[in-house]
Amino acid sequence: MKKSIVLTMALFLSLLLSTGGVSFAEDVIKIGAGQPITGRFAFAGKHIHAGLMDSLGYANEQGGVDGKKFKYIYEDTGYDLKRAIASFKKLMAKDSPVMMYGESTGVGKAMAPEINSRYHVVYGSTSFSEELSDRSKNPYIFVSGPTYAQQFGVLLKYIANQPKKNNKPHRVAFFYSDTEFGRDPIPFARKLAKKLGIEVVAEEVTKVGAVDITSQLLDLKRNKPDYCIFQGYVVPPIPEVIRGAKDFGLDITFMGTFWAMSKMLLGKLGPDAEGYMGVSPYSYWYMDDVPMIQAMHAYTKKHHPDVEYRPNSYMQGWFTGMIYVKLAKMCHEAGLAITGENLKNMIPKIKDWDTGGLNGVVSFDKSNATGTGKVYKAENGKFVAVSDWINLDE
Amino acid sequence: MYIGDFKEAYASDQAVFVNTTSRFWLGVLFVLLLIFPFVAGDYFLFMANLAGIAIIGAVGLNILTGFAGQISLGHAAFIGVGGYTAAILATRFNLPFLLCLPLSGFMAAFFGIIVGGPSLRLKGLYLCIATLAAQLILEFVFVHWESVTGGIRGINVSSPEIFGFVLDNDFKFYFLTLVMVIICVTAARNLFRTRVGRAFIAIRDRDISAELMGINLMQYKLYAFGISSFFAGISGCLWVNFLKTVTPEHFPLMESVRYLAMIIVGGMGSILGSIFGAIFMTIVPEMIKTILGLLVNIFPTAMSFLFPLQQVIFGLLIVGFLIFEPHGLAEIWYRIKNYFHLWPFDH
Amino acid sequence: MDIFLQLIVSGFLVGGIYALIALGFVLIYKATNIINFATGEFMMIGAYIFYSLMVYLKLSPFIGVPLVIICAALLGVLVERLILRHMLGQPNISIIMVTIGLSSILLGVAEVIWGSEFRSFPPLFPRKPIIIGEIVLRSNLFYGFLLALVVVAVFMLLFKYAKIGVAMRATANDQMAAFSMGINVKTMFTISWAFGAIAASLGGIIIANIGGVQPTLGHIGLKIFPIVILGGLDSIIGAVVGGFIVGIVENLAGGYLDPIFHGGVKDLAPFVVLILILLIKPYGLFGTKEIERL
Repeated sequence: MKKSIVLTMALFLSLLLSTGGVSFAEDVIKIGAGQPITGRFAFAGKHIHAGLMDSLGYANEQGGVDGKKFKYIYEDTGYDLKRAIASFKKLMAKDSPVMMYGESTGVGKAMAPEINSRYHVVYGSTSFSEELSDRSKNPYIFVSGPTYAQQFGVLLKYIANQPKKNNKPHRVAFFYSDTEFGRDPIPFARKLAKKLGIEVVAEEVTKVGAVDITSQLLDLKRNKPDYCIFQGYVVPPIPEVIRGAKDFGLDITFMGTFWAMSKMLLGKLGPDAEGYMGVSPYSYWYMDDVPMIQAMHAYTKKHHPDVEYRPNSYMQGWFTGMIYVKLAKMCHEAGLAITGENLKNMIPKIKDWDTGGLNGVVSFDKSNATGTGKVYKAENGKFVAVSDWINLDE
Repeated sequence: MYIGDFKEAYASDQAVFVNTTSRFWLGVLFVLLLIFPFVAGDYFLFMANLAGIAIIGAVGLNILTGFAGQISLGHAAFIGVGGYTAAILATRFNLPFLLCLPLSGFMAAFFGIIVGGPSLRLKGLYLCIATLAAQLILEFVFVHWESVTGGIRGINVSSPEIFGFVLDNDFKFYFLTLVMVIICVTAARNLFRTRVGRAFIAIRDRDISAELMGINLMQYKLYAFGISSFFAGISGCLWVNFLKTVTPEHFPLMESVRYLAMIIVGGMGSILGSIFGAIFMTIVPEMIKTILGLLVNIFPTAMSFLFPLQQVIFGLLIVGFLIFEPHGLAEIWYRIKNYFHLWPFDH
Repeated sequence: MDIFLQLIVSGFLVGGIYALIALGFVLIYKATNIINFATGEFMMIGAYIFYSLMVYLKLSPFIGVPLVIICAALLGVLVERLILRHMLGQPNISIIMVTIGLSSILLGVAEVIWGSEFRSFPPLFPRKPIIIGEIVLRSNLFYGFLLALVVVAVFMLLFKYAKIGVAMRATANDQMAAFSMGINVKTMFTISWAFGAIAASLGGIIIANIGGVQPTLGHIGLKIFPIVILGGLDSIIGAVVGGFIVGIVENLAGGYLDPIFHGGVKDLAPFVVLILILLIKPYGLFGTKEIERL
């Protein structure tokens, strides 16, 4: 009696398992992701993950690609290199996604050789690093917007176009963090500044979240820059620096690159936020007149009704999702199978693509980055655009 | 069941594997390790390689901290020295991998001896803090000595080549790791059958008494730092060649703490403990992450609660082992082994 | 010249705040001989609790601070009872590792409860800087310094005159003698952990007020090692003097060396000082020399 029960159960289970295996046929396009949902980058990772997931969900609602839906498979990698690599390999082995998303510049660099030789997947990430967008070395890797170097370029060009004081060259200071994130665009920025005739009068480096930045403020006082560009920070110590500069009676226009351009930062700055500027690849959630933003609003209302605001890191995730979807659609239109190799070949073919106002009209023909961003200025606690989409493709 | 302890020669008394049974099982283990890469998937191969590299590092740290009693919070920095040396020798000087390997070890040992230098004057807590300072200073050097280390970008290396075989995937690299682990573990185990090893243990137990017995403290402490860092350097060289890139962010203080956790959880003063600890601290966090990931799939809203739990569990493991099982996994292993030795008797 | 003076003054102010956190370390070491690697994390938890009280419960700081003191004391007591009690008599490395493990636990718990986002503190002090001649004293720093000084002074008076303070000093000095005088040494241990947690938490509030709070705020706790080694692991005066010296050295290194090395020297300088002190005078300026008896 007992034996037959066991046998029946075994049979039943094996039937169950085998049917489970059969149903996952070719009608999904798999996107794998290692997201930094915990750890140092979690403040952004959570939102990037949400943005990517929603973007793919939105694409599915629009019909996917010829009826095939996108499947988003993610793992938390905690901004830990070893875990991220392990997760990458695990996802590749288990699910064979055709496109992957990674949590940092480090993972991209570590996996690049194997992506080129073995995995052949299109790879996007949180990183805007110059090194990764080099098509000759990393044809499979793209950047969801302008690289940090290009962002710096946008700001420096903006500064160069401002009227000069007493016909003297503009004085700019770089204020960056002691990390890869902070240092990535600096060599390029130094060269470009020289080319544009801008004087880099000071470079301040701190650890993220430094407590006392008096010595850096004094150095700024000593060198009297007109502009100061932040790189490698999200919030701290930016409020400290801005308030400190005011305390010391310095008249500096502060600017930031993408991660330092969140509305949250303006909230923390309070009244000191007025006049803070910077470059961001994306439009903001509150820009109701932007078509893609409207689509986001509609999607969020339907699926996450209690969410009121999405920060710029969400935009990064969403835009990356859009790029994945675009590549898949282009493959389908060209009559090719949706494989990593074919998708990768589509990247350079993206030209003059209207992103619905999220990143302007972009092309990946010159490099695996869009090179497009806008300069924004803080007014009354929000960022408003003070330029149109600027394209900076090296 | 194993009855009696008949040793007829000094050699057999000193033997590591005392009887045919344990040698048999060792052989079985070796065969399994050889078969493993052929049946395991990518992910498990990757984990195995990571674990192997960690074992070598953990053995090194255990020599210094577990056997010689010198607490070191700078182990990750020495691994970093080994890693950077390997990268620089491979890219700048185009040395073959088999030459880079021992040279990385020696370079790390050199730095280890420098850091260990003041150790005669410093004991216990002070030495620990000095190694902490060394760790932070070396981190600074990794980032700022750009002409040598490539600064924050780091250095990219190509796959290592041994006798014409290019180890460009995890499968091939596994065999290198396996060989290195066997060499290092055997060397370390044999170290403690020699005079030097016994001197280390004496220094750990009571250094003043050791000095009275004629052990030159300065000399042997420096040996301990040097040998331990040599192992760290080897581990670093393998690490860099495995990941094919090295940046300063690979060797933070947290990594030193992780290695200390490995030898504590595994068992200080035990080579087997280093192996257990390294495997444990490599595999278990991944397992926890997988389990938590499954839970999040069931309860998506608990994501912000469940994922950070990993850090808490890591800390709880350390504290838990220290309170409840201070001699680590090795001790649990010996208990199980003894149980089987004596079975079906109780004692 | 006035840059030099400004650096010294700012360094002095920030050093006073460091001194408070270092005090949290010394209080525990003095009584129990335990090196608390989790001091930074105590600091961070104190800051987060204060943040929650101020922002979620909307309490005034005058109620918030005493509540934080109570919570910190509870945390110290819990840690001592649940964890450190079991480690009595274990070798040094085990105890050090336990506090390292504790710091991981506290870090994780903070991330679970409050998330890993950066939170900025609602301002505690008036915004205007205090300007004396050419020297600018930023308000957060200045008032924080005053507060830290007050707390340190209170602790010092406590130790000198209050019965509990004397009992703790007695325990630190000679446990056997303290036992025989009827002092409950175990309670003294618990109390010293409570005091240590309180000092660290108050220091945390002050620091978080300057730069905001994140779970990684505890890394500032690493800076206390140069301070307490310089001052002497078991000396309260040493913690204060060491704090000032480290604050000033940091600022001078930052002001004059950072531009040359493109940064990073400011955070490294205290550790170079640490190594020098260890080589020359390991027990610090005011520490008691350890005489090893067999």
